[in-house]
Amino acid sequence: MNTIVRTAISLADVNHHYPGVIQPSLTGFDFSVERGATIALIGPSGAGKSTLLALLDGRLRNWNGAVSVLGNSLDAHTAPSRTDRAKTGFIFQEFALVERASVARNVMNGRLGHTGPVASLFGRFSQLDYDAVDEAIEDAGIAELADKRVDSLSGGQRQRVAIARCLAQEPELLLADEPISNLDPLSAEKTLKLLTQIRQKRDMTLVFSSHQPDLAKRFADRIIGIRAGAMAFDTCASDFTAEMYQDVYGTEAVADNALRLVG
Amino acid sequence: MSDRLRHDRSYRGWLTGILIAAAILWAGSGSDVELSRLVEAGPRLAAFLGRMFPPDLSVWPEVQKGILETLRIAILGTFGSVAASCILGPLAADTISPKWINRPVRLLLALMRSIPLILIAMLMVGAVGLGPLPGILAITFHATGMLAKFYAEAIEDVNQTPVDALESAGATLLQKLRYGIWPQMAPTILRDTIFRFELNLRESLVLGVVGAGGIGFLIQTYVRSFQYEKTATVAIAIAIVILALEWINTIVRRMFR
Ligand SMILES: Nc1ncnc2c1ncn2[C@@H]1O[C@H](COP(=O)(O)OP(=O)(O)OP(=O)(O)O)[C@@H](O)[C@H]1O
Ligand SMILES: [Mg+2]
Repeated sequence: MNTIVRTAISLADVNHHYPGVIQPSLTGFDFSVERGATIALIGPSGAGKSTLLALLDGRLRNWNGAVSVLGNSLDAHTAPSRTDRAKTGFIFQEFALVERASVARNVMNGRLGHTGPVASLFGRFSQLDYDAVDEAIEDAGIAELADKRVDSLSGGQRQRVAIARCLAQEPELLLADEPISNLDPLSAEKTLKLLTQIRQKRDMTLVFSSHQPDLAKRFADRIIGIRAGAMAFDTCASDFTAEMYQDVYGTEAVADNALRLVG
Repeated sequence: MSDRLRHDRSYRGWLTGILIAAAILWAGSGSDVELSRLVEAGPRLAAFLGRMFPPDLSVWPEVQKGILETLRIAILGTFGSVAASCILGPLAADTISPKWINRPVRLLLALMRSIPLILIAMLMVGAVGLGPLPGILAITFHATGMLAKFYAEAIEDVNQTPVDALESAGATLLQKLRYGIWPQMAPTILRDTIFRFELNLRESLVLGVVGAGGIGFLIQTYVRSFQYEKTATVAIAIAIVILALEWINTIVRRMFR
């Protein structure tokens, strides 16, 4: 019994095909993740990272196999219930903010799974909602941006708004799709530090995808390599080697990235 | 590489130029255009304008009544077309309605746009009698053809990823509409609606000619009976309304960006 409660994610023989595409996007995924873990997914463009994360977020349809997230089995053909969707937070690769709305408004959007479905349509939210928004804005370090419109922000600032929206949701599982791909090296490191700190503070499970093996190794407990829609390796971060990296990305193109791992 | 570039621009530019030149020559070659008459036009125009001056302001009460009726027709006609477009717009949008619905709806809208307003107005006068009502119906019908198409385009331009983010957070369908879709399209919808209202006002000036209400009736009466001083009063009233509208339009657009 206890093991079920301790498991955040489990997949058994999961396959998926985008309609009209010859190559499958996911084949034979089989792994599980403990609650409280930090997992990095690495793999080249088109490997299937975003597809896998969308599946865990309950937004992918028509897959087969068995998937359970936070103790609930997902259905391949219907979206999860509102409360289940609210338990899983997602940070999108392209931020996915409402450009014309303010930062605070966007962060409040993260509360929509918790608010009254009718009252919220008229802009009425509870004290609980406002408190969660304030705390999320504080945790993401964007207090001074709260009243600005999103279309006036830089990429790094948008990224933090997207993180704040996700935190306002108070999820138990945090899924982040390439959260650092649009950032300079220093901001990238800061963002991962922020995410792992928040994970710890709020006792969440974190799964992120990334193309940066050195940062993945530093911030994750465990790394899963994906190549052409299949798992290439699944390793404890401390056992992650340059060979594994080259195994998914190919040997020549990324020699210096691999070297950074060794160094 | 450079070869491909050279071939690319070889004939298309020339062809376009030749087509345009041919069209202008053909249009001007008709013997009845008689450009020579332009020479005498200046003095005649001056005489005509002279007869409009000074404007006869004694007719102001009935001119005011007419222009306000035109304004009412434009407002209610716009309201009608907004209501119709709120239904037909989503049905015509590629992103939310299936092909077998949006294709026929688009065709219908194109047909509605293509029938001249004055023709619809005549039909409506035949159907419901004289007065502002046929004018309102005609404007509603005619404007919906354009406005619903604009609304459909505004819906199609909505970026789906922020909406997915709300779905992920647990939002309901209505919450997604209210907080994900609406804020993205509101400024476009507002701009299009005001634009259409301006057109409706301008176009409804002529409705009175066929008995469908408004100031058009006075224009027709005064011009037919050569009462140019009174026509001038009408022109002043129209100018006031159009300028006021443009001024309001600027303010509203600045408020919603
Ligand atoms: N909506 C879609 N329809 C059809 N095919 C898709 C769709 N989304 C992704 N794919 C295909 O599925 C495969 C996996 O894509 P996915 O976006 O999951 O890759 P990724 O690992 O996230 O890549 P990246 O690093 O570039 O983000 C790719 O071959 C892609 O072309
Ligand atoms: Mg991706």
